[in-house]
Amino acid sequence: MSSLAIVTIVSSFLASAVEFVEAVTIVLAVGVTRQWRSTLLGVLAAIIALVGLVAVFGSAILLFVPIGVVRLVVGGFLVIYGLQWLTKAVLRAGGAKAKHDEAAIYRDEIDALRAERPVPATGVDWISFTVAAKGVFLEGLEVAFIVVTFGATAGMLGPAALGAAAAGLLVLAIAVLVHRPLSTVPENGLKFVVGIMLTGFGTFWAGEGVGIEWPAGDAAILALLAGYLVLALLGVYLVRERLTSRFVGATAGPAAPGDA
Amino acid sequence: MALLGRFAGFWYDFLVGDRWELFVGPIAALLVAWLATAMGISGAVTGVVLFVLVAAVGGISIGWAIRR
Repeated sequence: MSSLAIVTIVSSFLASAVEFVEAVTIVLAVGVTRQWRSTLLGVLAAIIALVGLVAVFGSAILLFVPIGVVRLVVGGFLVIYGLQWLTKAVLRAGGAKAKHDEAAIYRDEIDALRAERPVPATGVDWISFTVAAKGVFLEGLEVAFIVVTFGATAGMLGPAALGAAAAGLLVLAIAVLVHRPLSTVPENGLKFVVGIMLTGFGTFWAGEGVGIEWPAGDAAILALLAGYLVLALLGVYLVRERLTSRFVGATAGPAAPGDA
Repeated sequence: MALLGRFAGFWYDFLVGDRWELFVGPIAALLVAWLATAMGISGAVTGVVLFVLVAAVGGISIGWAIRR
């Protein structure tokens, strides 16, 4: 297996794991509060839609779009998407943004579902079906986006899908075992790493798309990843410093008359 | 029509969200890189410029987020 395939699997696995954790939180809340059968039907419908999307769009991109255009457009989207993840992760790690709290989201979801009308005695509970399908589809759409973009640009749709499937199975297995939201997963750390990977690979491929001939070829990816990692860590440090100085300034207050 | 609007709104939220600079910035950075390549500037220099511009977009967005 090539190193690119391994990197593709790892990137897809990490990115997908984060999204699957969020999807599992919604599914657990719906299943526990309302009806498991309708919830699982909703999950199944969302998975079928997502697999169809990946198959259709992934194949269409690979078959009909020139690789230069794919690298420019998809690489650009990866940079945009990666930067969104990375900047949020930097802000969270620096303390400027609240961390994603799966336990709180789970409680809110359960409160909202309890306010709905009761589960019907027979047939499908459409509230369970809709909420579960919508949750899995929306979170899964981000997985599909990463699988299609990463897979199509590197010509690695299979390994990207494999990484996502492995993440899905692992998260699902853990959820079935512990039967509660996976709040101990280091979600922000994962987003930090994935943000760097998406931004680094996106920069490389989009750069190739605009005609850059990277010195050292594919090895330039490593330099980009290392560069973004260093800057992201520096960003966390600077955010902390900025918040600390602002806090100290706020608690010190204005100087009293006569102060030296 | 309303469905089309919601569809467009979904993709706007998905790709742009509340931080438009993270959408516009990388596109502008790629435009600069494309111009540099078209002018015959070497791949090493253009690559560094692209990296610096993308990193700068991230830095600016973080700075604005803290100020907000």
